[in-house]
Amino acid sequence: MAVAAAHADVKARRPGINQLGLWLFFASESFLFSALATARFVIAGTDRPDELNQALGLAITSVLLLSSLTAYLAECAIARDDRPAFLRNLLATIMLGLLFVAGVVVEWSTAEFHLSEPYGSAFFSMTGVHASHVVSGMAMLALVYWLGLRGHFSAKGYWGVEATIKYWHFVDVVWVFFYPALYLVSW
Amino acid sequence: MKRDLVAAGALWLILTAIGELLAVFVDFYPLAKADKGEDIEHAFRVLVYFAVPVFTMVVAVLVYSFLRQHTTEFPTDDGPPLQGRGSIPLAWFVITSALTLAIAIYPGLVSIPNIFGDEPNPDLVVEVEGMQWTWFVSYPQHDVARVSELVLPVDRTVRFNITSRDVLHSFWIPGFLMKIDAVPGRTTTISLKPTKTGSYQTDPNLRVQCAELCGLFHSKMRIPVSVVSDEEFAAWLEEQAGAADAAPLSEETEAADALSGGIER
Amino acid sequence: MTHTAEREAPASAWSALVPLARGVLWGLAGFGLGVALIAVLRAGAGRSAWSLELSITFGYALGIVGWLFGVGVWERWGREWFGLSTKEGPTGWQRYFAFTLDHKVIGIQYLATFLLLFLLAGLFAVLIRAQLLSPEGAVMGEGTYNQVMSLHGIIMVAVAVASIIGGFGNYFVPILIGAEDVAFPRVNALSFWLVPPVAVLLLTAQAVGGWDSGWTAYPPLSLQNASGQLFFSLAIITFGLSSILGGLNFLTTIIYMRAPGMTWGRLPIFVWSMFSAAILALLFTQFFAAAMLMLILDRIADTSFFKAAEGGEPILYQHIFWFYSHPAVYIFVLPGLGLTLEILAHFSRKPLFAYRWAVGGFLGIVGLSAIVWAHHMFVSGMDKRLIAPFLVTTEIISVPTGLIFLSALGTLWMGRLWIRTPMLFAMGVVFNFLIGGVTGIFLADAPTDVNLSDTYFVVAHFHYTIIGAEIFALMGGIYYWFPKMTGRMYDERLGQLHFWLMFLGFNLTFLPMFWLGLHGMNRRIATYTPDLQGVNIFVSVMGFILAASFLIFVFNLLRSLVWGAQAGADPWRARTLEWQVSSPPPVENFPAPPVVSGHPYDYGVPGAPAHGVVGMAGGSDEVSR
Ligand SMILES: [Cu+2]
Ligand SMILES: [Cu+2]
Repeated sequence: MAVAAAHADVKARRPGINQLGLWLFFASESFLFSALATARFVIAGTDRPDELNQALGLAITSVLLLSSLTAYLAECAIARDDRPAFLRNLLATIMLGLLFVAGVVVEWSTAEFHLSEPYGSAFFSMTGVHASHVVSGMAMLALVYWLGLRGHFSAKGYWGVEATIKYWHFVDVVWVFFYPALYLVSW
Repeated sequence: MKRDLVAAGALWLILTAIGELLAVFVDFYPLAKADKGEDIEHAFRVLVYFAVPVFTMVVAVLVYSFLRQHTTEFPTDDGPPLQGRGSIPLAWFVITSALTLAIAIYPGLVSIPNIFGDEPNPDLVVEVEGMQWTWFVSYPQHDVARVSELVLPVDRTVRFNITSRDVLHSFWIPGFLMKIDAVPGRTTTISLKPTKTGSYQTDPNLRVQCAELCGLFHSKMRIPVSVVSDEEFAAWLEEQAGAADAAPLSEETEAADALSGGIER
Repeated sequence: MTHTAEREAPASAWSALVPLARGVLWGLAGFGLGVALIAVLRAGAGRSAWSLELSITFGYALGIVGWLFGVGVWERWGREWFGLSTKEGPTGWQRYFAFTLDHKVIGIQYLATFLLLFLLAGLFAVLIRAQLLSPEGAVMGEGTYNQVMSLHGIIMVAVAVASIIGGFGNYFVPILIGAEDVAFPRVNALSFWLVPPVAVLLLTAQAVGGWDSGWTAYPPLSLQNASGQLFFSLAIITFGLSSILGGLNFLTTIIYMRAPGMTWGRLPIFVWSMFSAAILALLFTQFFAAAMLMLILDRIADTSFFKAAEGGEPILYQHIFWFYSHPAVYIFVLPGLGLTLEILAHFSRKPLFAYRWAVGGFLGIVGLSAIVWAHHMFVSGMDKRLIAPFLVTTEIISVPTGLIFLSALGTLWMGRLWIRTPMLFAMGVVFNFLIGGVTGIFLADAPTDVNLSDTYFVVAHFHYTIIGAEIFALMGGIYYWFPKMTGRMYDERLGQLHFWLMFLGFNLTFLPMFWLGLHGMNRRIATYTPDLQGVNIFVSVMGFILAASFLIFVFNLLRSLVWGAQAGADPWRARTLEWQVSSPPPVENFPAPPVVSGHPYDYGVPGAPAHGVVGMAGGSDEVSR
């Protein structure tokens, strides 16, 4: 019975444990992204080509920021057991994510600089690594959506939702640093 | 306990005395044959002087503790419960910090400008290109290009402008105690003054040795170095000029970036 | 309470292979899928379907997912993501060959795997020393030598990263803090099962030409190399992921899973050292992965991060690489030093001297290790203005390191030194790491480093820190905890014989290397100038003795595993928690929750309470074996 008591104790600490684990993961990931950003400034300096499609860059940035808002709304909805709003906002988030990825694809196929130039190396690898995170986030969101459709998650327990959406926000924040580093910096 | 401190302290002093004597009289390096090499050897020696008492202190405590009380059976009592909370750790912290700063300043920071500095007006400029797996040496002031041996006049300042054609190499002359990497797309430099004559035949440390792993024949990437008198150097240049049919380099290519354009075939 | 797991009827021996076989099968399927995907995409773009490195990279990425899912992630974890119930893993000895969640099993899996890799890479070292018996190379050509040297380097680095952390960290951190497991047992198992692909990649790289750029893999050489270099990069990324997840797990475990009363001030010092190393592994490993990613992209995707001719920057690689790899040396050595302090306190029968300062030392090293990396690059051709600041930061790191020495020496001072094999190894660490540390000063000092860098002086220095400190600590830890992990005692005389042979063999192998470095022998060479042959022969012979000492070690372990005397719960009469439970500990570690009320090392302190008491069920002696 004593073992059971200890077990209960760990159970009580589980939310904190999960939160910490997630945040440590973000801390680690941010080192990966900063390595890429550092490489960008070392090889390509603090400048950018004029041929960048600024309109598209701004558009996909807005789309991604908007998706963080819908993700946040989805989390709030499940917290008050509003399943329809939860699913609706989740779907919107996934769609906005898709739109972002589509934007990156367009950007890639129309870019007027080449992969083998220093800036091109930085641009394609930074957007590529970031987009792969977006895609993995979308896969997780889709899984959460599917589970949500089947009645999983409720106001009492939605760690899976929370973790996925935190991850989504994190990927979004990374873009908040990458966008100016790729599109705006110039001196 | 006081007696133990005295005894261990005495052991430390004796070991330190022996160590410092050895440090003074042992030649660490084979004879350094360049001015900066001598400075580096000197810096090395100073660090050894600092290192000896640190080393002997740890050894003294280890040895003394072992001799004083060790057992192969489970000890019948526990040791004195010294917690190390008082001023001892603080003193240790202050002393090690002071020592560290001292050696960071001398021979560290103080020697950097000298060792890493460039000679602005060298008597001789030598351009070096590394490629898998040999070195090409050029003397742009003397129209000698792409020889695979390094000949230098004694007591003349030399600046080496070094680059690489393919992968990283490292231009190292063990006898001079100096090295710098050869990096594709960059020119790196070292300046020094050979102070003693000699050649690879009599001193294997007089060689340009690649010191950065560069693939298959990395270990064999070495060419001989000779340090000779002015007259011998002039004669050698003469000989090379006669032998070389390569187009002489123009004056402009003496600039530091000459190698990137000047020597390309 | 007995091991419920072991009471069940053991299935046939072949069943142990089922998870592994499934992992391989699913892995191959994933690989095929990845290759097919690339083939379709490339064919769509009108190019040939197979492009060696591109296809292998994508095949591997999916293959590793297949391997992990097959070996157990799906059954024990993944099913949950899809709302299905998870399945239990095998019990009995088969659990050592499966995706098992018990941190003690994972600890043993790590220890066994990395001891095997250690012995293998040790054999490569023997080959290297055999080669250097003759200035022209005694046994192989330059090409083979460079590959053997590279393999030796990277496998030993992996051993250094994971043997103590993965082995003892997993087995003992939870027990030392009074927890029943780590915070994320499934992530923990995942970390371990990422390791076999790493070993497979490194050892099969020869099939695609191998690689000869050492464990540092500097471009442009590593861009020019055969496809073995790609295997190397993929292996590093995989291993990096394993090590990051391990660091995450240890940090969370130490922060959240401590037993009641286990305050930060009562944490065993080994746990503190693991905490420090975990921070480094969690954060900095990403830079090695990033460097490998850029290398792979330069190879397969036509980017030019490190291609000077296209405007890239080869020196950038070194900055990124060393930003990880300098902290990595502390990932290697801090747990070893923590383990050493642990053993010194228990076998001196004294409190750990200046405990708080030692903790400060560990954390200080963690903080400083982020700002010293460019001391590896004093002669790399980097901007000369960087030399002075990195000289200063690097020298300063000897201050926190000095605090760890203070703790060791103060603990030994006037102690009742109980000379058993673990204690000999711990004292060996103090001596060896002293030499490693002191010679590090000469390399941190830029003016002397100009000559010493890339010579055998460096080789000697880092072998003193890695073998001299970490591997000696690993050996000490194995002897120290062998009775706990197996319930049996090792043979003390063989243990001490191993120590003395290894200690003398080690010092006589590596001390002369300092001399070689000073006399013009650079590192990573298959041939050398003939004037150095005499010393090289001496070094090689001593190296063979060092290697032979491990035969005694292996013999002792295997023999004691079967025929060793029963060890009992607490053969060392030590105060820490692992000795308060049976040997080996029960599956849930503690039959009743431990309560901690005292410091772990209060030997001889009048009136000091016990460090911890395991529940009300009674003392350690009543725990069933
Ligand atoms: Cu080389
Ligand atoms: Cu370092």
